[in-house]
Amino acid sequence: MKPLDPRTILRDSVLEIRGDGKAGGGLVLAFQSLASLALTDPTLHVQEWPFFSSARRGANIRSFVRISARPIRIACEVTRPSMVLLMDEGAANSVDFAQGVPAGGTFVFNSRHTPEQIAQHFHLSGRVFTIAGDDIGTRHLKASIGNVSAYVAMAQAIGGFEAKAVIDTFLATLKKRRIPELILQRNREALEASLAEVRTGTFECARPGDHEMPPFAGYGDLPVGAQTALRLSQSNKTAFYARSGVRLTFADPDGKCNGCSHCITNCPEGIILWEPDEKIGVRVTGAQVSTYCKLCNECISVCPFDLFTEKPFEEKWAEAEVSS
Amino acid sequence: MSTSEVTAHPRTTTPSGDKYEGVIDLEPVKRAHQPLYTERADVTADGNAAAALAVLQMWRCVVYAGFPITPSTKWIEMISAHVAAQAGCKKRVKLMEAEHAVADYLAASAASCRDLVFPTATSSVGLDHMYETVKSLGASGLGNVMIINVYRASANYPLCIEGDPSDTLGQRDSGFIQISCRGKQQIYDTVLQIPCVGMHHDVLTPTMPGFYGIKDSHRNARLVCEPDAAIHAFQDRWIKPCPLPGLINGDTAMGNCVTSRFFQGFKVGQKRRFEKVLDVLPQVGADFERTFGRPGISYFETAGWPETGNVDLAVVGMGPDFGTFEEIREGYAKTHGIKVAGLCIRLLSPFPREAVREKLRRARVVLVVNQAHHQGRGHLTLDVADALINLPSPPAVVSTFCGMGGADVSESTWEAMLDNGRRALAGDMPPPYQIFHEGAAL
Repeated sequence: MKPLDPRTILRDSVLEIRGDGKAGGGLVLAFQSLASLALTDPTLHVQEWPFFSSARRGANIRSFVRISARPIRIACEVTRPSMVLLMDEGAANSVDFAQGVPAGGTFVFNSRHTPEQIAQHFHLSGRVFTIAGDDIGTRHLKASIGNVSAYVAMAQAIGGFEAKAVIDTFLATLKKRRIPELILQRNREALEASLAEVRTGTFECARPGDHEMPPFAGYGDLPVGAQTALRLSQSNKTAFYARSGVRLTFADPDGKCNGCSHCITNCPEGIILWEPDEKIGVRVTGAQVSTYCKLCNECISVCPFDLFTEKPFEEKWAEAEVSS
Repeated sequence: MSTSEVTAHPRTTTPSGDKYEGVIDLEPVKRAHQPLYTERADVTADGNAAAALAVLQMWRCVVYAGFPITPSTKWIEMISAHVAAQAGCKKRVKLMEAEHAVADYLAASAASCRDLVFPTATSSVGLDHMYETVKSLGASGLGNVMIINVYRASANYPLCIEGDPSDTLGQRDSGFIQISCRGKQQIYDTVLQIPCVGMHHDVLTPTMPGFYGIKDSHRNARLVCEPDAAIHAFQDRWIKPCPLPGLINGDTAMGNCVTSRFFQGFKVGQKRRFEKVLDVLPQVGADFERTFGRPGISYFETAGWPETGNVDLAVVGMGPDFGTFEEIREGYAKTHGIKVAGLCIRLLSPFPREAVREKLRRARVVLVVNQAHHQGRGHLTLDVADALINLPSPPAVVSTFCGMGGADVSESTWEAMLDNGRRALAGDMPPPYQIFHEGAAL
């Protein structure tokens, strides 16, 4: 496998980049800034656009960028990107972020994991860049948002941009949104910190068939009312919309539940678990957090005994345990 | 613009057709304009921003009425932010309670001052909500109304927020001049030019420039902005004091019932003015190209047509997805040993029948690509078939649908549609229409 150089691709044809993240996570800003950064070079042509879900905050969204030294006419979505960004590991629960990337492509991650761990876990062959953007965001922006760092990592993965241009372009994009000076300064600090914290490596972990694009299988049966196979309400586990890194927990070791049922009636997803109880009528036993819980916190706010709480949650990666 | 800056001269009569030249002194309005750019500037913009910048740079645009609706919302957001941020800005934003009120506001304000341009941007349900007033506006003679429509599937079930031109194509008979754009530069340039057509004395018809939602409204790219002064000089060459519409005297007032004799005569006049677009539009486009060095507005764009001689397969489409066809055209033609060319339709209403016929008579097969729901073979197909009908040996017309609801139109989808056209070349005519997605006929 020979790593594909993004600079060569954009010079000879079109560098296509795709990003996956969650609505509200800053993916679009990162891609808009990357497009503006490329446009600081007057010889380059750029297309940048998002693909929004019709769903709510936390739902998967995509962004696309094309960069080329020649005018770009093609207008369809990017399906064979030579570079991808995964802004939020939770987004990978719903889509194959690496689908269609050729061997030798570039993979950029907002993640605490090392490039090696990432390559092994997701079975990737190519250049892998990681940056713990959420941690940098927490440190400098007082919010667990990694788009600043993801943008820096993408710029480094493409190469050829001066650090000053990388910083100034992002800040210029923020200024267009009339962000206060204090926040701009904090973003500057996050950008500067990110420049030094990108980790990278080249790996060959993809197996035959990994991340290949499946052929379009049609729409299936088409009964009245658009109830096609594409309709997601039955299969889309919207618990993935919740913030990554935390999960709802229920604990009632002392049997405090008094059967008030506020959590049951207030849960918009109907995922509170309960059983009949002779004394109090209804006894709550937990919640189906892995299906539809989006951490709206309704149950937390209405429970008189604080039996529901948010707790840190991290998925265990088998590969991570064996890597150094 | 404050009202004190407009000098009104009292008149006692309102004869139809009177130009009222000088009745409203526009010089203070022009002087109050604060330029966005004093020299040519490169900016990064999406389609909504490009359309917003264009109207902000026009001294004749001083009031922006609007209502937020995806995917056109950023247009009014950007204008509002600019007006709020620019110290001493005399321009005003009118956020209305709903789109029907926006259309009513446009009608009233445009009638009150014929020489200013009153723009809004809308989409889908918004345009549908404007329906009644839009139809009246189309007949009104108010060429100074501009509804920028950001294409989105027309209000229907299920709702879809992305680029599908069924909303605009559903308004083909509204009487507006409809011109389709693709790409930021074309959007910006078109918004600057189209009032020159609509307000031309031979035309006097409101305008509806449009572009695809999300696919263009939210796609960022480089945009060249011209200096405000150059834009004003260009527009002032074309926009002259407008005559009043023949609508304000007693029994001919807009909204009143009239006799069939008057109605039919009125419609004859409306249709004649509408057809004049076909004369005026190329002149405005040519002047724009001379002035700014970029292609001006035109009936359509072409791809791959030889200077002389015929082509085997001609593709007719519209919007940004035509770019993907352009990208693969040469390779496809080479692979299959045929000549392939294309027309990207820009002027939707009035449809440029003669020009389309002259181009397509050189093709053996015409493949029409529709991207909006239609009760029959497709809006574009019907227009193209109509344009070809009087040819002694017209080319075969193959009709396809794709990209409905803004669905992606991939390279493989284009190839599958072209394959359909190629089969027709061999005499194997496909069904009246077919729908394609991801390389498959559905």
